[in-house]
Amino acid sequence: FRFKDSLAEDLQRADLVISHAGAGSCLETLENGKPLIVVINDKLMDNHQLELAKQLHRDGYVLYCNCSTLVETLQSMDLTTLKPFPPGQPEKFASFLDKVFGLQ
Amino acid sequence: TGGHTTEILRLLSCLSESYSPRHYVFADSDKMSEAKICSFEQKRAETFSKSQFTLDRIPRSREVRQSWTSSVVTTLYSILYSVPLTYKRKPDLILCNGPGTCVPVCISAFLLGLLRIKRTIIVYVESICRVETLSLSGKILYYFSDYFIVQWPDLKKKYPKSIYLGRVV
Repeated sequence: FRFKDSLAEDLQRADLVISHAGAGSCLETLENGKPLIVVINDKLMDNHQLELAKQLHRDGYVLYCNCSTLVETLQSMDLTTLKPFPPGQPEKFASFLDKVFGLQ
Repeated sequence: TGGHTTEILRLLSCLSESYSPRHYVFADSDKMSEAKICSFEQKRAETFSKSQFTLDRIPRSREVRQSWTSSVVTTLYSILYSVPLTYKRKPDLILCNGPGTCVPVCISAFLLGLLRIKRTIIVYVESICRVETLSLSGKILYYFSDYFIVQWPDLKKKYPKSIYLGRVV
């Protein structure tokens, strides 16, 4: 499938997701509680995209490899080492803004 | 655009109805944001019946990887377009999170503030994708915003005037 409006359905049914380092893809997958392997495209090298993938890996939320090491990663991976991804907290932002405007 | 719209709607998700009416400003080239916004507002109207919002489109100030010189021209054009819009809306608060589209709007608000026409509080929330470096919009608005929020601690260290609340989206 080339371009679908939403991968939400496929994501729900998946046991493992292998994705590029795009922030939307990573976050949507993690929020759905699916194990994720992020594949870095060395040739595209959009450094800003890598920042999030690297951080998520450092924090233990995703596995990480490049195109050439993907097979090896799939063979030797231990998905139990991945930590569950805590949701963001927009309520903290709301609270902050309320203080700014004296609404608390 | 895309990811930015999703993020900003999440930021709005816990705000009370004091933050109303909401004026959404986005790039004319953006096809998907309108649908996402309407869907969000529809859901919101289920809880807050008097909820109000508007949609405004402005010319996109800069395409990804557009050259420096042509970016200055297109951004100036966007600023010219944004000034009357910002003057019309006279917002108390501008909340933005990084697409190039937000820069002309914030600059317009800043100018209107200098001219004592309307004092708008500018709150910038850098995207969650930015862990170690700021986006170009962020680098510019770090100096123009009243509150600059980052979502990762490294950025707080590098930009001491920023505010770190943890991950908010």
